[in-house]
Amino acid sequence: RYVRQLQRLQLLFSPTAADARGARQFVEERAQDFARQHPDVVLYVNPHSGPGPAPVLRAEYLNGTVREELIASKTSEEIVQLATKLATQSGLDIIRIRKPFHTDNPSIQGQWHPLTNKPSILTVQGPRLRPK
Amino acid sequence: RRSEKPNWDYHAEIQAFSHRVQENFALDVLKTAFVNRCYIESEEARRRQLGLDKDAVALQLQDNSGLAERGLRFARAYLAQCFEGAYPELPAKGTEALVDFLTSQELVSYVAQNLSIQDLALCRDFPAPPDVLQRTFFAVIGALLESSGPDRTGIFVRDFFIPQLIGKDLFEIWEVVNPMGLLLEELTKRNIPAPEPRITRQLGVTTVLPVYFVGLYCDKKILAEGPGETLLAAEEEAARVALRKLYGYTENRRPWDYSKPKQGLAAEKAISSN
Repeated sequence: RYVRQLQRLQLLFSPTAADARGARQFVEERAQDFARQHPDVVLYVNPHSGPGPAPVLRAEYLNGTVREELIASKTSEEIVQLATKLATQSGLDIIRIRKPFHTDNPSIQGQWHPLTNKPSILTVQGPRLRPK
Repeated sequence: RRSEKPNWDYHAEIQAFSHRVQENFALDVLKTAFVNRCYIESEEARRRQLGLDKDAVALQLQDNSGLAERGLRFARAYLAQCFEGAYPELPAKGTEALVDFLTSQELVSYVAQNLSIQDLALCRDFPAPPDVLQRTFFAVIGALLESSGPDRTGIFVRDFFIPQLIGKDLFEIWEVVNPMGLLLEELTKRNIPAPEPRITRQLGVTTVLPVYFVGLYCDKKILAEGPGETLLAAEEEAARVALRKLYGYTENRRPWDYSKPKQGLAAEKAISSN
């Protein structure tokens, strides 16, 4: 069954800073709907008063990776899109994927090896019998 | 420890866990499932150290050992039944080896860690040792058994344990010392004459890396063929391939059936056999 890999989202923002306006709008309007639509993600909202670090959305995944995204000067819709993107990701590192395909069964009928189409030693070669 | 870092709400985390696994839990049963005995002991020791009166602040937490035992028994019985249904030819030792592998400490603690049980489990040491994680996971299964009944718990066990077998070979899990002897027993049970090993193909006999393909023929019909470095190794490998074919555990068997079960009879039998 599908297990959502996002464990919790922590929204750190400041109630007075100018660039956290989108974050404040998100908390007022959209945060409850988001939490209701994703009941398996715990959403923590931390307003820290006064001038502090830039507003950030921290996502923790089931395999322990913590990913921080800056939400300074983003509108409320963009933050919603960002949050849904994080909710559907898994916690694997975001690195270049070497090849866009992978199979667990590289060969269906058996991989070729130098002996695949050679007849076995035991087949009898007579004047009329031919190895098939 | 994650519970000591900021932003931690235990009740919310437990609710999120039950939604993540898509199961309805009775939350108080689930909370007792996460409490381990070492946690209760350490809490009592800490309270005694702080000089608190025992009656005034009594620790009303129950252990998860009963739930863990019930979960373990149910999981073992259900998995054994699954394997007996899927591979009827496999002998009892084989199913036991498979069930032991699936309930072993490393596998269960790996599954538990990827379901965030290591954050929710209350225990004395950090990080939680694998046997504590195993016990907690089985206690969660026991709690699910109490809340939702054997059907849902059976589906849960099937969804989380059986995918761990993907890509694994039978003889990686089950150590067989003498495959030829086992093969002879199986063939006598089915009344097939003893196999005769013959060299089918060979390559590079005089070099450092020879390859021999030994085929096992019963009554002049081919049973299995296996490669190996020396003739003995090739014969043993051929015996293993023959056993895999007989037990139906080859690589090209049908994959496991994860569809919704129609009757709950299977899980009922698992409960009644406990």
